[in-house]
Amino acid sequence: MEADGIDVLVVAGNPWRGDYLRYAVDLTPTEGQVFALIEREGNVQVVAEHPAEAARFQSEQSELRVTWSPAPIEDTEAAIRSFVRRRIALAPLAAAPYRLASGPLASSMATATAMLDRLMLRKSPSEFAALRRAAALADEGYAVFREAARVGRPEYALVADVEAFFRSRGCPENFQILASGGREVRGMHPPTERRLAPGDLVTTELTPCVDGYYAQICRTLAIGSPSEAQLGAFAVYDEALAAGIAAVRPGATAGEVARAQNEVFRRHGLGDYVTSEYTRVRGHGLGLYVDGRPAILEDVDLVLEAEMALVVHPNTYHPEAGYFVHGDSVRVSAGGCEVLTRTPRRLFSVPGG
Amino acid sequence: MRRGLIGWSRDEVPASVLEGRVARLQETMRAAGLGAALIYTSFARPSAVAWLTHFVPYWNEGLLLVLPAGAPVLLAAFSKRMQSWIRSVTHVGEVQSVANLGRAAAKVLDERVPGSAKIGVLELDALPWPVAEPLLDSHATQLTDMSALFASMRQPADATEIKLAHRAADIAVKALGSIPPGATRASQVLAAIEGSARLDGAEEVLPGIAPDLAAGTAMRRLEGDLPLAGRYAVEVSIAYKATWVRIARCFSSNAPQSWLDAQGWTSDWATRITGDAAGPPPGVTTFWTLEACVGSKPLSVVASAVGPRGTVSAGTLACFSIKLQLPDGPWLAGAPVIIGSGAPGRLLVEY
Repeated sequence: MEADGIDVLVVAGNPWRGDYLRYAVDLTPTEGQVFALIEREGNVQVVAEHPAEAARFQSEQSELRVTWSPAPIEDTEAAIRSFVRRRIALAPLAAAPYRLASGPLASSMATATAMLDRLMLRKSPSEFAALRRAAALADEGYAVFREAARVGRPEYALVADVEAFFRSRGCPENFQILASGGREVRGMHPPTERRLAPGDLVTTELTPCVDGYYAQICRTLAIGSPSEAQLGAFAVYDEALAAGIAAVRPGATAGEVARAQNEVFRRHGLGDYVTSEYTRVRGHGLGLYVDGRPAILEDVDLVLEAEMALVVHPNTYHPEAGYFVHGDSVRVSAGGCEVLTRTPRRLFSVPGG
Repeated sequence: MRRGLIGWSRDEVPASVLEGRVARLQETMRAAGLGAALIYTSFARPSAVAWLTHFVPYWNEGLLLVLPAGAPVLLAAFSKRMQSWIRSVTHVGEVQSVANLGRAAAKVLDERVPGSAKIGVLELDALPWPVAEPLLDSHATQLTDMSALFASMRQPADATEIKLAHRAADIAVKALGSIPPGATRASQVLAAIEGSARLDGAEEVLPGIAPDLAAGTAMRRLEGDLPLAGRYAVEVSIAYKATWVRIARCFSSNAPQSWLDAQGWTSDWATRITGDAAGPPPGVTTFWTLEACVGSKPLSVVASAVGPRGTVSAGTLACFSIKLQLPDGPWLAGAPVIIGSGAPGRLLVEY
């Protein structure tokens, strides 16, 4: 804050974008809006929209000055006005509400958001300790998922088993989407009532959170023995994932990591399927947000640095097998890349009858 | 960021019900002279759009455009390949996959709304800046907040919503009943609730736990684990088909008489709120809230011990929570309720 000329940093958060708030004051909103006013000298006041959230924050950190208000934006605005002749900045852009952002703080948002982004991109040893635990939990969670995936069970039952397991391990957050079926499947989504059937591919992206930090695993399994088409598809995705991970090193760009994966598809005559028509990203940053910076896309020129965390996943549609996912969490190390995911890179299969 | 089953059952939520809600909004808009309504939706603020269209974003954001006539238009920051999923769970006219919500909304407004028309925005003050900025650039003079207008027509709950709330409450009660007797760790409690509720089709499960009531009544969101004291409390918020309820209960292997008295008072509370038989709860009331869905958030505090003291219309689907200091220590409860007027209200769960 001192280097950026900020006396008071106002950080906004909500259950969708709580990452900046978590980084700045170690609070995770679950309901309503929350604002933290952080003075450079260390004083912090927090305005929460819900009284239960305020009580929880106070119980978690007794030294904070926490209030609740059904009109938190107005109250935060009043608190901002009380700072006379102080340089105040608002962040992040993604969660800044119109009323605060459209006033005198408008010009501060880009700088303050960039400052926090810079700080959040490279992880400290303690942040990586949490990420490693999250990656290990993701491995365990995927083992639970494999056990849960049986013919006749609805998709939502698989998620129930995984979520219960994560809770049993003290994990309060998990981002998980999945899909089941064949060539008709074009992407993943929240669980539906569809029941697993022999011959299905079952995809999932599983992202547990430990101490605020998310790690992700993507794997695909077959119900019954995989078909030739499914095995052929797996070989392409496995090659692409290996190529993407091999491209991860300090100094490489996010675009180069995406290109390394996409080139594998192009070599196999599947270049159409790495376009936005069929896929979103070839991976992304990991940390306090489930889908962090940088997006791994060919046109992203952000340069990777040591101690960044990513998931590399060449997830996309395959014309003979349907949507297919395969991805590992990694740490950008000084010498290249450390793979945090331990689950074997296999096309798993579970009993089909 | 944890969504469970998201599915649209036409039996439970008929398209005609959603169309009726949109028609009510359009009637309200016409009466207020609004040429368009914009309603934001995200993981954190899904409820207004879900109530009108059944769309619940499991991540990312969207904007619903409602014109004075015709089916709503959903602008969704989802890739085009997610359109079929969106269509499968949503009742709208048009779905546009857009990269920039604000810019896309500005363009659609340019095309479909007269330049002089007022554009109502639900919770304008809270609209995220990346969405608001392009709208301000193009339509600043037309934008007006329509939060009060929306709240005025959002409640009372219709029969469809009340049925969903009953289902959500049943899921919650069963989940609380699945807590293993003799549980000694908070993680055992939370895992049982999570598994039970999701296997029963909950769309979202938000559990909180006060693992030692004597030490504090704040509902914790545990990262890790804690031992359970002899008396603890659990609150579980459940969404079923976008309808949220919140239920809280205290647990003890040896509940004292004062707890039983407090439970009795809570059972009668719904009838007492009519004002006909309002007796004070036992012990000292340390806090209470009444929450209802009146905008984009699943539950908002509409009245509490320290304000606001909003007026709640008869038939409102609400959640009542109370904390008491009893002779035997702190005690708390929470339950969904249909607010009565003249006639008694009713709790959706047995206490």
